[in-house]
Amino acid sequence: MSTEAKKVMIIGGGIAGLTAARELARQDIRVELVEKADFLGGHAIQYACKATDECQQCGACKVESTLKDVVESPNITVHLATEVKSIAQNGRISAQLAKGTADKGDALKQCVAGYAASPVQCAAVRGFSKHNARFYSAEGALNTETTGQAAQLDVDAVILASGFTPFDARIKKNYQYGVLPNVVTGLDLERGKRATGTLLRPSDGQPPQKIAFIQCVGSRDENLGNLWCSQVCCPYALRTAMSLKDKNPDLDITIFYMDIQNTGNSFPTFYQKCRQDLKFVRTIPVDMYQADNDRIRTRFMSEADGSPVEEEFDLLVLSVGIMPGSDNAALAGMLGIELGSDGFAAGAGTLDTVSTNQGGIFLAGTVAGPKTIANTMAHAGQSAGKVIAYLRRA
Amino acid sequence: MTDQTNTELKTIEVTQAVLVLGGGLVGLETARVIADKGYSVVIAESGETLGSAAETLPLVGMDQGQLDASMELAKASKQIEVFSSTQFAGAAGMPGNFKVWLATQKEVTEKQVGAIVVAGKVDIQPLNAAYGLALNDGVLSQSQLEQRLAKDASSLSGKTVAFMVGLAQPGNPVNMERVFRSALALSELDDCSVYVYVGDLKVASDQLERIYMQTRDKGTLYFKLQQMPAITQQNGNLTITYADPVIRQDVELNPDMIVVEEAISAGNDNEELAEMLRIELGAGGFMQTDNVHRYPVATNREGIFVVGGGAEAKKLSGAWMDAENAALRVSELLGTGSRQVSTETTLDTGKCVFCLTCYRCCPHGAIYWENESNTIIDPVACQGCGICASECPQEAIQIGGFTDAQMKTRIETAGAQKTKAPAIVAFCCQNSALEAGQMAQEFKMTLPEGLKIVQVPCAGKVDLDYILSAFVEGADGVLVLACHPGNCKSERGNTYAGWRVQDAQRMLAEIGMDQRQLRFATLAANMGSDFARIVSEMEADLKAMQ
Repeated sequence: MSTEAKKVMIIGGGIAGLTAARELARQDIRVELVEKADFLGGHAIQYACKATDECQQCGACKVESTLKDVVESPNITVHLATEVKSIAQNGRISAQLAKGTADKGDALKQCVAGYAASPVQCAAVRGFSKHNARFYSAEGALNTETTGQAAQLDVDAVILASGFTPFDARIKKNYQYGVLPNVVTGLDLERGKRATGTLLRPSDGQPPQKIAFIQCVGSRDENLGNLWCSQVCCPYALRTAMSLKDKNPDLDITIFYMDIQNTGNSFPTFYQKCRQDLKFVRTIPVDMYQADNDRIRTRFMSEADGSPVEEEFDLLVLSVGIMPGSDNAALAGMLGIELGSDGFAAGAGTLDTVSTNQGGIFLAGTVAGPKTIANTMAHAGQSAGKVIAYLRRA
Repeated sequence: MTDQTNTELKTIEVTQAVLVLGGGLVGLETARVIADKGYSVVIAESGETLGSAAETLPLVGMDQGQLDASMELAKASKQIEVFSSTQFAGAAGMPGNFKVWLATQKEVTEKQVGAIVVAGKVDIQPLNAAYGLALNDGVLSQSQLEQRLAKDASSLSGKTVAFMVGLAQPGNPVNMERVFRSALALSELDDCSVYVYVGDLKVASDQLERIYMQTRDKGTLYFKLQQMPAITQQNGNLTITYADPVIRQDVELNPDMIVVEEAISAGNDNEELAEMLRIELGAGGFMQTDNVHRYPVATNREGIFVVGGGAEAKKLSGAWMDAENAALRVSELLGTGSRQVSTETTLDTGKCVFCLTCYRCCPHGAIYWENESNTIIDPVACQGCGICASECPQEAIQIGGFTDAQMKTRIETAGAQKTKAPAIVAFCCQNSALEAGQMAQEFKMTLPEGLKIVQVPCAGKVDLDYILSAFVEGADGVLVLACHPGNCKSERGNTYAGWRVQDAQRMLAEIGMDQRQLRFATLAANMGSDFARIVSEMEADLKAMQ
């Protein structure tokens, strides 16, 4: 049977869902893209460009261009602020949708005056992207003509691309996130950079002179039972640090780490530059204290002789890891698929990580485990390819 | 911002066949997936047998059943034609209709294919010399150990084995996993002690941290070092002396065996292959430039894709993703046999003097010639960047949607709109700065009153004439805004644009104009606030000059 009349529902409009949607739409398959937030792009659309005097291959711009492809495709219907409530198999797959009131989280806090009054401060509400603009009316509400309104969808296959939940840094109390104003997460820093183009201290809005990144916050943590590397945080921290250093060569940047992970084929030369421009300390600081001027005093073990050292920073960035999506269990239960021991969705095997134990249900992106933007896009492409083959046989 | 022109289309026929270069596991899987989409596939493999890479990967923890099933399907497919003991001897033509030559010792076969997928091989070399060691019974490469484990594991019982990894090179998750898997296999044997000397643990891959913990639970000891330990190899006696990072003393170990890491590098024949295919190589000589627009399988040429080890040292699961992605790109290109192409981009053969500047500067290998005089731009291969049009000394090339006449009108309009504020004409690459500019507008960031944006398909399209015309038409300042180096979809459009701005700046200086009136900057599509900053800085400069 031809795939022409076939329809696929994609749950999640982050870079995985966007990539899968674009690939399917290009092959003339109808896509229903269901996203619980008010905007498309997920976490990755909130990341800032990390170029120095040259591109660092972070992939953030690919999220923007993939989103553009999706909103311009006639084959894709976008359902925003929408959650899948139930799934029934009746030959096809029938999904009940509900217009949700998903937690808009931190984005809304910056948007007290409303979008129309202060678009720059409220850019986060629209994922910082102009490509989301078509989904809203002049008053700022979701536009019922440009977004899907169906309460039920009957589709031939489902791609679960519901992404990840960033590690809640408050769980590691010693880092004092949420207590000390100048302890931020990588995601906080990204949103700030995306909005303003620069890095400012939350406490006083001034550019910091001395900053530190702490790696593996929530990842590779035996005590938490999180036995995985989030794969994105080293590339993220190194690229961000080098990008900041490029704009302000006087900036003093320290990276606290366990093991540095690679960034791609150019890693050997890139890392050499990093070693020259940044300070690397192979230990994870234990305690943070408030110091004068809203600085943060940290205590850690010296690499040279194991003695305790104290150092102060203007800003401390926690490289929070990729955790299983908070609704993974609910989604897996609804779709009848299995979760692995770490809480990420389980693929069919080591070579095919996109098919599941349920025919017609496929995975894309970080719902199945930590991935960079590049790997997420490759994974979503594999998922789209498997869906097309499945539809042809179905 | 573009003039609405009626795009002239014509239909061309494309060949429903694909050449896969390389008949290893990845090449076979790629062929299988492409054949499954209904295309016929030719595999060219230099070795005698297919799937021959399997021997070197006995321990990578892949699902053997899944692997075997894929390989059986590929080998049984009637749509896949196999040329073994065959060298790739060259390609000509354009995407959709390539002519390729495959050479055996006896004969050369010509084939017509619509697309080419390179399932490149990697080169694996032991790094024993970097550790001052010679390979022998007591010093094995990682591959040699894996072969021993696969064939004769019991001979390793009772041994003390020390691994060296990530100390002679930065290392990668593939090598890391091989060490972990080997350590697990050794710990299954009687009385084996396993030590791993490692730079950074490269665990950024599925399940690796968990496998690492398993090896530790089974007794493997890890020493994370900042530099290589001193190793001596005398009369079969091995001594490792290292600074223990925990007890902070020099410690000696006398293992029965040392296993040294291997460098996984780009295949030896990549350079030759790249030249034949007119593909640009990236860092380390892999068959793909380090350009995010090439994710995951594209090259600088339409219709030529790269999967597996051709692009980087990766696990088989990553290569399997590539295979699906390559098949998607193939079916997008080849469809069901014909495709519509624009005829708007033209080369005026009356003006052309056959200097071949365009052929040399085209980053997409889209230009060829016939009969030693007739230069042709292939409509499928052409990405419309316009670098050729701006470099052509005869101005013989017109790019669809951005002809010189259209650009002239747009520059006139942009330069002529007078406000009290300084008039700024910003030539913006549509892939980056244009998007950033529109983002700034969308979010109502403060932009100069006199700013006019002129869209270009790539900064490489910004002709020296355009810059000068903008000033002639009344611009007080001109900005050329391109993608960051390494991020240009056409590889070097931004470089060309930068050169032209330098040329223009020299000319402006000669006639006594202020250099601040012309600026080149690079941006990404998501840098709205930086766009606003750059144009506002220019406005402030221009106001200061008034």
